[in-house]
Amino acid sequence: MSFLPVATHCVETAAGVFGLGREELLKLILATEEIFSYLSSNVCRGEILDIRCVNGLSYVRVEFRFSVSALDMGALNIAASVPCASEDDMAEMGLAIASRTIDRLNIIAERQNRICLSIEKDKDYPPAPETSIAPIDVTGALTVETPDTEGVKRYVTRVTQGPHDPLRPPFFHYPGKVADMVTAGDCQVVTAVDAKGECAGGVLFRFLTARIVEVFGPHVFYQVREGEIAAMLLDACIARTARTKAIGLVNLTGLPPSSQSQFELLGLMNHYRQDGESIARQAFYRLLHEDPGCLVFTDECLKDYLQREYGRLFLAREIREVRDQGEMKAGVSIFSAEVRRERSMASLRPLWPGADLDANVKRHLRFLKEEAINNIFFALDLGVSWHASLMTVLITNHFRPALIIPFAGQADLLIFQYDRTEP
Amino acid sequence: MIEPNLDLLVPAYVREFEPYIPSKPDPELQKLYGCDHLYRLNNNENPLGPPPGAQEVIRRFPPPRGAVYPSGDSYYLRREIAACHGIDPDQILVGNGANEVIAFVIKAFCGQGDNIITADKTFAVYEWVAVFSGIEARVIPLKEERFDDRAMLHSIDAATKVIFLCNPNNPTGTYWSRDTLRDFLDAVGGRQIVVIDEAYCEFVEADDYPDGIALINDYPNLIVFRTFSKMYGIAGLRIGYLAGDLKVVDMIRRTCVVYSVNGIAQEAALACLRDETGHIRRTRQLIREGKAFLCAEMAAMGMPIIVGEGNYLIVKLPGSDTLAYRKLMHEGIMIRPMTGFRYPNHIRVTLARMEALEAFVAALKKILV
Repeated sequence: MSFLPVATHCVETAAGVFGLGREELLKLILATEEIFSYLSSNVCRGEILDIRCVNGLSYVRVEFRFSVSALDMGALNIAASVPCASEDDMAEMGLAIASRTIDRLNIIAERQNRICLSIEKDKDYPPAPETSIAPIDVTGALTVETPDTEGVKRYVTRVTQGPHDPLRPPFFHYPGKVADMVTAGDCQVVTAVDAKGECAGGVLFRFLTARIVEVFGPHVFYQVREGEIAAMLLDACIARTARTKAIGLVNLTGLPPSSQSQFELLGLMNHYRQDGESIARQAFYRLLHEDPGCLVFTDECLKDYLQREYGRLFLAREIREVRDQGEMKAGVSIFSAEVRRERSMASLRPLWPGADLDANVKRHLRFLKEEAINNIFFALDLGVSWHASLMTVLITNHFRPALIIPFAGQADLLIFQYDRTEP
Repeated sequence: MIEPNLDLLVPAYVREFEPYIPSKPDPELQKLYGCDHLYRLNNNENPLGPPPGAQEVIRRFPPPRGAVYPSGDSYYLRREIAACHGIDPDQILVGNGANEVIAFVIKAFCGQGDNIITADKTFAVYEWVAVFSGIEARVIPLKEERFDDRAMLHSIDAATKVIFLCNPNNPTGTYWSRDTLRDFLDAVGGRQIVVIDEAYCEFVEADDYPDGIALINDYPNLIVFRTFSKMYGIAGLRIGYLAGDLKVVDMIRRTCVVYSVNGIAQEAALACLRDETGHIRRTRQLIREGKAFLCAEMAAMGMPIIVGEGNYLIVKLPGSDTLAYRKLMHEGIMIRPMTGFRYPNHIRVTLARMEALEAFVAALKKILV
C-alpha cells in the first residue's frame, strides 16, 4: 500500500499528458486508487503489480498486470464482495467502485497465469452540432474513399442528425471522438462521395474480437440511390477486411434492408433501455472465407438448439456433448466482466472453472442488477470444453441463448442474454 | 518453464499477419458437411490429371529412390525447359510450386522500406509474401476486370522494386496483349523488376497473347513464372519455375533454397514437357466445352459471369458467396468464394468434366430457390 501514491501519481501524470480532462482525470485516479488498494490487499499482496497507462487518443486506459495463484482467483470477480446489500458495505468494494467511475472495466487472462485488469476513461468531446447540415444533392458517379479527419466528422455528424436510433453506439454523437478513434486505428471509416465531394453515405467498422469485424451501417444520406450507395460501401468494407485477420463481419445494430441479402441472420437481441422499454434488433453475419468447420462442445441441454442453429446457418460443426461424470471440481471460478455503463450493458465471460459456477453467476447477477445494468450477456466459447458446464447453470439462472457468433472465440461464441422478465 | 516473449521476438508484420488456412482434406470435409461425394471445382485443377507419360513416371517411381536426394537444382528439368524456349538453363530456377519462386523474388529484391505493386483482385500470394516479409504491397484496383497499366505505372516510386502481373489474370481471365505488355515494359524502362505470372498460359488460345519468356531478351528486367500444377495436372507434386535474364536469375539464386523440389516431381515435369499424346489439346477441348456449357446455363439462370481465358470463370450471385460455398458443400460441390479476392458475392468455378459441371448447375439451382 505504500506504493499507492506512486501508482496514482503515475496515472495522473500520464493521463494528463494524454489530454484527459480534469473531471475525467479525477475519476480515473479514484478508480486507480481503488483498484490498486484492492489488488495489493486482496489479490497479489507482496507481489509485483505492473501498471501501464495507454493513450488511446479518445480514451486513456490503465492496465494492471499481475500473477495470481488459484487461491486468489475469486477476488478478481467484479462481484466478489457483494454479498451484502447495504451501501456501507459497498464502500469497501474496490472493483465495484472502480467500475462506477470509469467507462469500461475488463479482466482478461494472459499467458502464464498472468491477469490484465484494465480500466478505460473516455475523453470528453463536444457533441455533434444540433443545427442540421443541409440535405445533400448527389450527382453523377460516386466513388468510395477513405475520408480525412474533416470527412470523418462530417459523416458522423450526418449519421447523428439522421433518424434517431437508440441502439446507435454513443461515439456516433461525438464526431471528434470518432476522428480520434480512426487516427488511433480503433476503427475505419469509408465514405461514398460524388465529384463535388458531397458525402452520400459511409460505413464504420472495427475489430470486435481478434477475427471478427463489427460493421456499423452502411449509413446512406441520399435515399434516392440507397441500394447503390449501400452496396458500394459494403463492398469497400469487405475489400478492406477480406485480406486481414478477419474471418467474418458481424452487424449487431441493424442493416439497411438493401444490404441484408448479403448477410446471414444470426438471431435477435433485445436491448432494454433505462425506462424498461425493450428494442429488438436483428444480428447479421457474413463469413469472409470458406468455413473451415470446427469442433464445438455442448451440454445435453443445448444440443438440439445448436444442431438446429448450425443447420439453419449451414455451418459445418462437429458437436460433442460434454457430461458431468462426477469428476472433482475444486476452487473458485472467475468471470471477466466488461461493463459499459453508457449502454447499460455488461458482458460476462468465464475465465477459470471452479466448483462455484452457480453461486458465481448468482453473485454477478445480483451485483449487476444493483448497479441497474439492464442488459446482461454471457458469452461461452463453444471451443472450450469446460464452458459447456456453464450452460445448465446459465439456463437455470434465466439466461437464454440468443445467438451464435461464428469464430468469435476459439470456436464460435454462444451469446446468452439474461431474461429480465424473470425475477 | 519460461515461455518465449513472442511480442518481442516476432516482428510486428509477422505477428499481425493472418496465416492462410487451407481447406481440410476431402474426407474431413465430406464428414463435416455430410456429403458422400465431392466435386472439386475450387482450385482450378485439371480433371484429366497429368499427361500419360507423367502418370507412368509416378506409377513406376522406384521406392528405393525415396532414400536418395533429388537433383538440388533440378538439373535435367532446367535443361529441358531451356531447350523448349531456346534459353540458357541457368536462366531457369525451379521451385516447390510457383508459390516458392514468388518468395525467392521478393527476398532477392526487396528490403525494409521497399514496396511491390500488384492488383487488388488477383492471385493473393504476391501480396501475402510481401506483407509477411515486412514489404509494403500496393494493390491497384482492376479496371474493367483487367490490370490497370496506367494506374500501376502511376503508383511506382523510388522504393518500388517488383511489379507482379498475372497474365491471364486469376480469377478474371483477362489478359494483356503482346502490345500492351511491351508498352508497359517500355514505360517501366528497366527501373523495376516486372514479374509475369503465366500459371494459366497453356490454356490461352488467343493469337495476341504474349509468350513472356520470348520477351526476356528484349527486357532483362522481366521474370516469368510458370507452373506444372494447372495444365499439366501435377499440382500434388508441387513444382513450378521462373525464367529470367542470366544476371537477374543469378541474383535470385542467392535466395533460393536448393533441394526443395522432390525427385518424382522433377521427373514427372520432364515427362509433361515431352508429352506427345495431345494432353494440352484434350484439356483445351474439355475447357471449351465446359465454358460453353456453363456460360449457357448461367445465362439461362440470369446469373452474370466474368469469363475469359483460363480453366475457370466467375459467377456473380445474388447473395453471400461464403454462404453459397457452405450450401454447395452440403451438395458435394466445392467452389471458391471470391470475397478473399475482393469480389464479394462472386464464386469462381473450375471448368471440369461435364458430370461435375452438371452437378454444380443442379446444386446452384437448388440453393438459390
